[in-house]
Amino acid sequence: MKFALRLTSLGVVFVTMFAIVGLRLWFVQVAEGPEFAEQAEELTWISKSSYAPRGDIYDSQGRQLVTSRLVPAVVVDRTFIQPEQRDDLIQNLSAIIGMDPDELDTLYEKAGTNGRFQVATVSADTSSRISERLDILPGVEVVDVPERVYLVGPTMAHVIGHLGLPDKSDTDARPELDPSVRIGKLGVERIYDEILEGTPGGIDYRVREGEIIDERPGTEPLAGSSIYLTLDLELQDLMEMAVEEGVALSNQVKDAERAAGEEIFNETTRGAAVVLDAKTFEVLGISSYPDFDPQLFVTGLDAAKFAELQDIQAFNNLAISGLYPPASTFKAITYTVKEEEDLPLPNPEEVEGIDIANQQVHCDGTLFLDANAEVGSGNKKTDWYNPRDLGWLDIHGALENSCNIFFWNVALGTWREFQNTPRENVIQDWAKALGYGSTTGIDLTGEAAGIVPTRELFEEWKLFQLDNPDLPPRLEPTRLELDSPWLGGDLLDFAIGQGAFVATPLQVAVSYAALANGGTVIEPRVVKAIQAPGGTPEPIESGQVRHVEISEATRQALLQDLNRVVTTGTASTAFVDFGPGLDQVGGKTGTGQAGRNKDNHAWFVAVAPIDDPQYVVVVLIDEGGAGSRVAAPVARHILQYLMGNEPTPIVAGADAD
Amino acid sequence: MAVLSRIREVAVVRRGTTSDKILMGTMVVLSGLGLLMIYSATKNNGSFSMERQMIFVAAGVILYFVVSNIDYREYRGWVPIASGIILVLLVAVFAFDPIENVQRWIPLGFFNLQPAEFAKVVVIIALASLLAPPVRGEIERRQLTWVKIGQAILIVAIPGYLILKEPDLGTALVFGFVLYVMLFAAGGSWRQMSILGVGGVLAALAMWQFNFLEEYQKNRVLILFDPNVDPLGDGYNLIQSKLAIGSGQLFGRGLFAEGTQTSFEYVPEQETDFIFSAVGEQLGFIGAILVLIAFAIIIWRLLVIAVNARDRFGALIAVGIAAMVVFHVFVNIGMTVGIMPITGLPLPFLSQGGSFYMAMTLSLGIANSIWLLRTPVPGENQLT
Repeated sequence: MKFALRLTSLGVVFVTMFAIVGLRLWFVQVAEGPEFAEQAEELTWISKSSYAPRGDIYDSQGRQLVTSRLVPAVVVDRTFIQPEQRDDLIQNLSAIIGMDPDELDTLYEKAGTNGRFQVATVSADTSSRISERLDILPGVEVVDVPERVYLVGPTMAHVIGHLGLPDKSDTDARPELDPSVRIGKLGVERIYDEILEGTPGGIDYRVREGEIIDERPGTEPLAGSSIYLTLDLELQDLMEMAVEEGVALSNQVKDAERAAGEEIFNETTRGAAVVLDAKTFEVLGISSYPDFDPQLFVTGLDAAKFAELQDIQAFNNLAISGLYPPASTFKAITYTVKEEEDLPLPNPEEVEGIDIANQQVHCDGTLFLDANAEVGSGNKKTDWYNPRDLGWLDIHGALENSCNIFFWNVALGTWREFQNTPRENVIQDWAKALGYGSTTGIDLTGEAAGIVPTRELFEEWKLFQLDNPDLPPRLEPTRLELDSPWLGGDLLDFAIGQGAFVATPLQVAVSYAALANGGTVIEPRVVKAIQAPGGTPEPIESGQVRHVEISEATRQALLQDLNRVVTTGTASTAFVDFGPGLDQVGGKTGTGQAGRNKDNHAWFVAVAPIDDPQYVVVVLIDEGGAGSRVAAPVARHILQYLMGNEPTPIVAGADAD
Repeated sequence: MAVLSRIREVAVVRRGTTSDKILMGTMVVLSGLGLLMIYSATKNNGSFSMERQMIFVAAGVILYFVVSNIDYREYRGWVPIASGIILVLLVAVFAFDPIENVQRWIPLGFFNLQPAEFAKVVVIIALASLLAPPVRGEIERRQLTWVKIGQAILIVAIPGYLILKEPDLGTALVFGFVLYVMLFAAGGSWRQMSILGVGGVLAALAMWQFNFLEEYQKNRVLILFDPNVDPLGDGYNLIQSKLAIGSGQLFGRGLFAEGTQTSFEYVPEQETDFIFSAVGEQLGFIGAILVLIAFAIIIWRLLVIAVNARDRFGALIAVGIAAMVVFHVFVNIGMTVGIMPITGLPLPFLSQGGSFYMAMTLSLGIANSIWLLRTPVPGENQLT
């Protein structure tokens, strides 16, 4: 081929390449041009939002708990800043507001070209100084932004919650969030975040060399809705003080016991209480000690203080996140199942101290079993809280005196009769129906589900443990050698609220409310009504309802027996100066075994009035000791208030299970 | 001083013709447009890009005139020394701190020298020297031997590898394209060209497969099919650039129009690699096509110079320069409208940047020198 021809071919190829580019330009500029032009036009507008105040929070009586006020904040809009002004601006602004220039620099860079960001809220004084020096502060504005005000300090802190800047998980879940606007992080502030937060208003404008050249009509910000809680501030205050006093009382009792030579492991530091409406499942009060002041998150919480609060678990709502063996409080459930399902006692020929005809058990402190492997732990179980002979007791006396032997025998009879049949989980199934082993669905953050142990669960644990030998074990090593790691002894423990069984104070309250109202279980609520700006409070939908069949006879008998607990039973000392209406109070003590090197957890559950149950009160003192001694007086104090009696001082009750 | 004496000689040898005025005129028009575009793209950010570029344009035009008056045949003898210097400079860039993660420049105080741009010119001359018959009047008996092709690949591969490591994939690809075009012009048979073409594609696939490319370089190719691969980085550039060019529509939004993408600086790198987005937005489809036609005129002139060159050496140089310009224009504009990967190749005469601008005027100066020394009878050069 001749050279000229080669060059001509190259020319053709080159022209083709240019033609491709030309065609593409036609497509982009002429065919699709108008569409691109429209998109490009939209991009040159900048939005400036004005923040909407969050809704307020009120208690059930309409007392204001949380509100918002407008405070001056320094905002920097990079659209108005020429590149050569940048360094001076950062120097000048950081000097006036007393901020580290590097920190301001970081914020500046993070905002991006044409970005707008809030630097900090400032005092009125600083605000006016900035306004005077706007000549050296291009792009700087002082705008009013809403700031949260927590009027009752740490009271109800775990229910109210607090705000914080959105983190990555928040923005992943809600990409529309403004990263400089605080959102709810805990409690009602979080669960009802989208109701409380308002709709920001704003204007769109275009800027050319620092001057606004074009503006679109703006929209006004719309305030968020307000929320009415089911909680009563006065009751809540009393409960929080009572729990704190209960913790102090526990430490006094421990000092005395230590002096008497008893082994005490730890100082008592935590406690919780719940008052639940037995009919509506509205939470009338819920307290957790220790707590925190949500205002700290507004004024600024340094890392050290935050770590300290986290260390003492101040942000945990023990009433819904603390997991404890429900201990003897659970006997009321075993009681109900025995009556409703007609659970058998063991064969008297196999087990000593059983009277089938009278349905009585000899509560003499020890249950002797046949030497067999079914219970897993020897052939003798001792009732350490009732080591003396209480005589022959039927189910009523057994509940009043919290006799372990009786309820062990209920479990043993059930085990021998129903093991490996569909009915072997009959007590657990009741427990689950009454709310144990799953979250109650309360409208608060951080609720724990708890554990209701069954054969299926133990078998799952066994497989998991064999697959993961490096993780901390849940089952003793000997159990792994058995075909099925679930033994009769586990059911015996379960029947008295021990073993692998754990529950939250709220779950205990829910189960007692259901026992007291005849079997209705509703998702508990802390929010009662929502009020749109300018509107009236609208009640919120109640939580999901389910029903467990409990006969009226059993319900009445249980309530009577619970009343005997506070009049003549394990809590009689704590309730001795209750005042009028003690005949309307039912209660149950509980002392949960916490494990190695830990003191027992103190429980008390109360129901009142027993003729028409209205309130369920649950008190838990973490490693507080005996329920009758430490928890019962706290519950009594709260009940006195609820029943209109003058609350008497919280002093130690008698030592009983 | 030898240079100056040669200049006088050229004046004697040339046949009373003047410079290629069309070539020079187009170059000047494009350079002027470049200054306007750089001004419009940077007037709001307080940099002095346009002022700096004016200095480069002035220096580049002087270079063009000086080189026009040097007998290009001299360069044959300079190839070894020029190649040596360029290789040293290409290695030297690695001694300096990276700018935005790449090492392409040698800071000289008043400007940053980018040796890769001048390496393009040196490689074109070296290839022409290799592929053209060294002795006047010798006729190539065979079209092109595989040995020569191997040598040519070696000439390109050494600087190409160094440039790829800077990393500068775009410039390395220019070398490949220029090599292929020059081999064809130098008489490569269809069979040779097919084998080389297939080999080139296979080599590219192998580089992709064996992770010779950086992740971001791969992404830049993937972005072509889906700009959302990297919506905040290169994908963003592409989306913004297409928006800017598209919004120019048929007639453009006018030079220095307010409220444009360009004036708001939405398009990153808009005074350098993405200068064409300013052209497309402000001057519209009409202006963009006129720019494209201006480049076509330069290509046309370069091919005419090649056909009329006194010897095969000059002809191949002109073809190499044409290939270099075509590739830059095609890849750069293609990138701004989303049909080519973002490779960082600037647009000749328009993009801001000193080394590249001067390498381009140097190239056209050499082409003009070839034109000044052309043969009396067009098309006869293959016998000389």
